Amino acid sequence: MHKSTSTKNKVLRGVYEDNAGIPRTDFGKRRPSNPKQQHAKGHKAIVIVLLGLLSVFGINVRLTLDDSRGPVAMPAQNAISPSHLTNPLFISQEVWDGHLENDPTAITAPAYMPGNDIVTVGDYDAMLTGLDMPMADLFDLKIGTIVIDPGHGGIDPGAMGHQGLKEKDISLDIARKLQDKLTRTGRYRVLLTRDEDRKVYLKERVAFAKDNNADLFISIHANALPTEASSLNYVETYYFGPYSDKRTLEIAEKENHDSDYAIGDFRKIIAKIGDTMKTEESKDLANAIHRKLYSGLKSHNQDLTDAGSKTGPFVVLLGVEVPSVLVEVSCISNMAEETRLSKPEYRDDIADFLKTGILDYLDQREHRSPREGGQINYVFKQEK
Amino acid sequence: MLYIGIDLGTSRSVVSASNGNRKWVESYVGWPKDFVAKKMLGKRVLFGSEALEHRLALNLSRPLQNGVLKEGTEQDEAAVEELIGHLIELADVGTDSEICVAVGVPAEALKVNKIAIKNAISSHAKKLMVVSEPFSVAYGLGALDNTMIIDIGAGTVDFCIMHGTVPLEEDQRSILTAGDYIDEQLLRLLSEKHPEADFSLNMVRKYKEKHGFVGDPKRRVKIDAPVDGKFTEFDITEEMRRACESTMPAIVETVIDLIAGFDPEFQESVRKNIIIAGGGSQLSGLENYLTEATKQFEPCTFTCISDPLYAGADGALELATDMPEEFLEKL
Repeated sequence: MHKSTSTKNKVLRGVYEDNAGIPRTDFGKRRPSNPKQQHAKGHKAIVIVLLGLLSVFGINVRLTLDDSRGPVAMPAQNAISPSHLTNPLFISQEVWDGHLENDPTAITAPAYMPGNDIVTVGDYDAMLTGLDMPMADLFDLKIGTIVIDPGHGGIDPGAMGHQGLKEKDISLDIARKLQDKLTRTGRYRVLLTRDEDRKVYLKERVAFAKDNNADLFISIHANALPTEASSLNYVETYYFGPYSDKRTLEIAEKENHDSDYAIGDFRKIIAKIGDTMKTEESKDLANAIHRKLYSGLKSHNQDLTDAGSKTGPFVVLLGVEVPSVLVEVSCISNMAEETRLSKPEYRDDIADFLKTGILDYLDQREHRSPREGGQINYVFKQEK
Repeated sequence: MLYIGIDLGTSRSVVSASNGNRKWVESYVGWPKDFVAKKMLGKRVLFGSEALEHRLALNLSRPLQNGVLKEGTEQDEAAVEELIGHLIELADVGTDSEICVAVGVPAEALKVNKIAIKNAISSHAKKLMVVSEPFSVAYGLGALDNTMIIDIGAGTVDFCIMHGTVPLEEDQRSILTAGDYIDEQLLRLLSEKHPEADFSLNMVRKYKEKHGFVGDPKRRVKIDAPVDGKFTEFDITEEMRRACESTMPAIVETVIDLIAGFDPEFQESVRKNIIIAGGGSQLSGLENYLTEATKQFEPCTFTCISDPLYAGADGALELATDMPEEFLEKL
């Protein structure tokens, strides 16, 4: 092929700029990006820039959170132009009043409002907790590695059906199928905490996720109910949090068995309970998976009970530092369900529903709009 | 000045130098586990097939597994440094020669590990640059405008649209269903169908490299594998086809998606200039398969390059040689 000298020179300059860390000026023939996305990125960027400015200048500044008056009606976007940033740390009254909407030189910024309750910048946890967008979106966090955790294994069979089917075998087979389906998308590295019939302590499962830089963690289990309730068939999905009913506590106790955590370890991980980002993402992931799993399985079994997507105190979910869910895909104690579970095609269907749920969640992350419930508004004030 | 082009791949790493030397080595680096191993092997560090052969006595690293250096893995970073040093040695540099090195790395590694890789090279060369593998292939072929390069490697398949400049992040894409994935699928399929036979990942990788194909088979694929210690012939045509084709849907989807994001005026030109490089381009029937598979969208024309092993290193060498002196001085 022929390359023109001017193109070649342009390319060589580009390689030099890339390697010398010089910002690129030539963008070739790309289509302009989606303006909506650009706008959203602008919002995120300006929040980060403002926070950065505050810390760089080392000035003691306060964030004022207005929750005393409830939601305050504001223009959808306010604007700050460079000329209004004579003091970049202070956003003037005219900005609050939304007078700059028509300024053509304006750059967009989220709305800020003065208020009464004061928190310091150092205590920005509060701001992040009340942010009107998921924290993972704010920092534009990507999902690269998905860890699937087949429950139990080896000498720990987990729950057992009346016909002898074991939870450890079901969870492993579904996990393998799910791994294959997700890997085929070509978008994610998908790993299993165990790929054979062996005992893995909960602590090892957590360490595996950490060592492999997991971005999502999905633990697969099958439920078993007492004999008197063996006619029931539940499907339920958990993310870490307090238990909502006694049955959840019993299930958590069962799944936490042999955690291999010492009290000292547990104290350290319990300190992570307030991890806002993990909780909000785990909840979204649990909801997406549960929706697909329940609606999919209902077509096989009209009597299936929807036990919902909810919080539960599962050690494995607490230890993992990324969005994580535990799915009870089925009730092995129900004889008809046990028969279905013994068939590879049914397990393949379950893996397919799980995959669709996970991909739905990942797709939602890419396209979701700010969370509902109104904006939490902040104001930056210079402290004397 | 000696110019050196290096293609640092997941599976193989290749060097091509302006003195005419061209060498390759499998991307394995191993350090003796203890003093006994060190004494037995008589070397501080081993590379490629020699490292694989003695893997039981070594701490073995395949540094760019999955196309990226794992964050915080010092052993992998050290392995890259050793591997670059070894490749420069293979290029047979005189002791007082000044050298300029251009290194092509998997696209994802360029995004994530650029600094770590530059640090690793800087202990061997002062004048250096790092680019993505598909870009170095494109440069070597002179395919700088309205062309898509697909580099099918072991850890990743890297896609890159060239449009007369160095590609931007949105011009590039990487997917993980690459050569290693085919090996895993083939091993699984063969183990399921012939549980009595002993297969290993290394064995199935060799079968794939020799017989890999997509689409209709030109001939039956027959291999010998041990059953209870005795070699037995197996027909693995169907398993080979299924394993190799398992990577195709993601490739087709990515091609269509990347082209759709390109300036509409130039999409047609790109569709007619899709070049496939990397070890995966050697799958028999690949051009026809992809051409057929994309027919349902807008027809695309795929061409596999003739020398996939050296194309990346040769392109990097050309880049190093062409780089103007005033730029080199500042790198």
